[in-house]
Amino acid sequence: MPRRFLTAEDVRRAGAGPIEVGAQTVVTPHARQVAEELGVRLVTGGGDWVPASPDRGPDAEGAQASLPHLPEPEGDGESGSVIVTAVGRNRPGVLAEVTQILSESGASIADISQRMIEGYFHMVLVVNLSPGSDFASIKERLDCLGGPEDYAVNVMHERAFRFMHRV
Amino acid sequence: MSFTEREILETIRMVALETLDIRTTTLGINLLDCADPDLETTCEKVYAKVVQQGAELVNVADSISADYGVPIVNKRIAVTPISWLVGPSGARDLVPVARALDLAAKEVGVDFIGGFSAYVHKGFTRADDALFSSIPGAMAETERVCASVSLGSTRAGINMDAVARFSEVILETADRTASTGGLGCAKLVAFCNAVEDNPFVAGAHIGPGEAETVLNVGVSGPGVVRSALERLGPDVDLLAVAETVKRTAFKVTRMGELVGREAARRLGTTFGIVDVSLAPTPEIGDSVSDILEAIGVDRTGAPGTIAVLALLTDAVKKGGAMASSAVGGLSGAFIPVSEDQGMIEAVADGALSLATLTGMTSVCSVGLDMVAVPGDTPANVLTGIIADEMAIGMVNQKTTAARLIPVPGKGPGETVEWGGLLGTAIVQDPGSFGADVLHRRGGRIPAPLQGYKN
Repeated sequence: MPRRFLTAEDVRRAGAGPIEVGAQTVVTPHARQVAEELGVRLVTGGGDWVPASPDRGPDAEGAQASLPHLPEPEGDGESGSVIVTAVGRNRPGVLAEVTQILSESGASIADISQRMIEGYFHMVLVVNLSPGSDFASIKERLDCLGGPEDYAVNVMHERAFRFMHRV
Repeated sequence: MSFTEREILETIRMVALETLDIRTTTLGINLLDCADPDLETTCEKVYAKVVQQGAELVNVADSISADYGVPIVNKRIAVTPISWLVGPSGARDLVPVARALDLAAKEVGVDFIGGFSAYVHKGFTRADDALFSSIPGAMAETERVCASVSLGSTRAGINMDAVARFSEVILETADRTASTGGLGCAKLVAFCNAVEDNPFVAGAHIGPGEAETVLNVGVSGPGVVRSALERLGPDVDLLAVAETVKRTAFKVTRMGELVGREAARRLGTTFGIVDVSLAPTPEIGDSVSDILEAIGVDRTGAPGTIAVLALLTDAVKKGGAMASSAVGGLSGAFIPVSEDQGMIEAVADGALSLATLTGMTSVCSVGLDMVAVPGDTPANVLTGIIADEMAIGMVNQKTTAARLIPVPGKGPGETVEWGGLLGTAIVQDPGSFGADVLHRRGGRIPAPLQGYKN
């Protein structure tokens, strides 16, 4: 009888060999993760097993079709850009630190402003990412800049600002 | 630049300093097709469906959070009330279903799964009866499963047999989880006018009118509202206060709308609703109580508290209504005592009594939430408290809830520490009089005239 579930424990027990996954078998997320970590192949019908998308129900297709028609908040042609801010203690080199990471990531700066408010500098950069660049990893690198007594960097997608400030 | 510097810095301040976040993305999953004459098979089907449907939820929420820079705190699952799918099995012990839900929740990495539930506002089926009996065991033996029951509604009245029975269920659950300060009761809530698309635990579940799967979002933002009011200062009048809350709620809700659309798209499911609720956490500054005090009462619980809470709840709804394509769930302001540092302090200072708290629930969005009572509180006193709460909801045509936690071994004024999101509570004094006859009398409180709308 084909197995009903394939768990992480099943994968560990199976050792290195490929595991045959039946059409009705539920492969748990942890099983997939462990298989990947241990390099265990999951196969079905002679080929690699790929998780099927779950059936989200009869409304899902229509909902997916109508989602893009929900009006987006107005905005100009900057869709896809990100907004980087840095706020903190003023010292030489802050702008250079931020822009270095951006240039290493292949991002271009579309707009920049900087001013001092009550002794703290506030810097805002509108950045266009190059196609295929990974927003998450750029954000991670930028988030690591500065420090508690220095300055704080924040990176958010332009769409978040559009949703908040435009109707 | 298409935004002003002021707009950009405002958003950054909300996220970085004022704890703006998306409190929960909750995937609703219909489990009706898991019903089977064999309970073990039901459990297998439940586990399989939750794991299959929920597998990508955490990844999707995390990726949206990373892509947009908007924090998404919790990922949760809400399912069909379990009593609706166990009927064919005739099983009396439904703890195995709770275990299956718990295992599935752990497998997909969500911290809570809601829906170990029953609707009994007019009466019990055999399955409802079994579910009630199984709640204490389910709460004691599982970690992530939340239970909820519907005990009344404006159209049905209040099922007082169910209220009395639920009181006993609470006491038994507290007893079974005594080593953790009755923590099992924190995962257990009773509703009047239960909402079927509530994304917030402990009451999250998916009602009979919902789609196969649906993505609902719960926003938050007490810190943002409080900061906006503090900037406004004490010298402007209440219209300005209401307008400020409205505008802030609008902005907060827009983040929920963005995340909801994006999560539904990436999961390939329907986008249900945004629950526009100010949901506090024990974190400093993330408090609904602080907002009430910023509006104008010395301490939450002082005279005037209900009035300012009414203003707040209404303004949040008005601001949120325009911000989302579909507002639903509970939407308003939550006042969970132990989860709100300001509320805890108000109780400690003697400002906030159980009576005032009950009054507040007639104008907030939920009810008596996370209220600790002495471990030796008699069932008839709990029945009275719950019945009062249900009556407020029934007559006012609103959702009310009771999440009461009798803390074993603790008396009024003593402190209990649950930790994490559930916070700290000071045991409140329910007084020395009960409702013994009401508890024993049973039957139903008929639906009020407000319910006859046809």
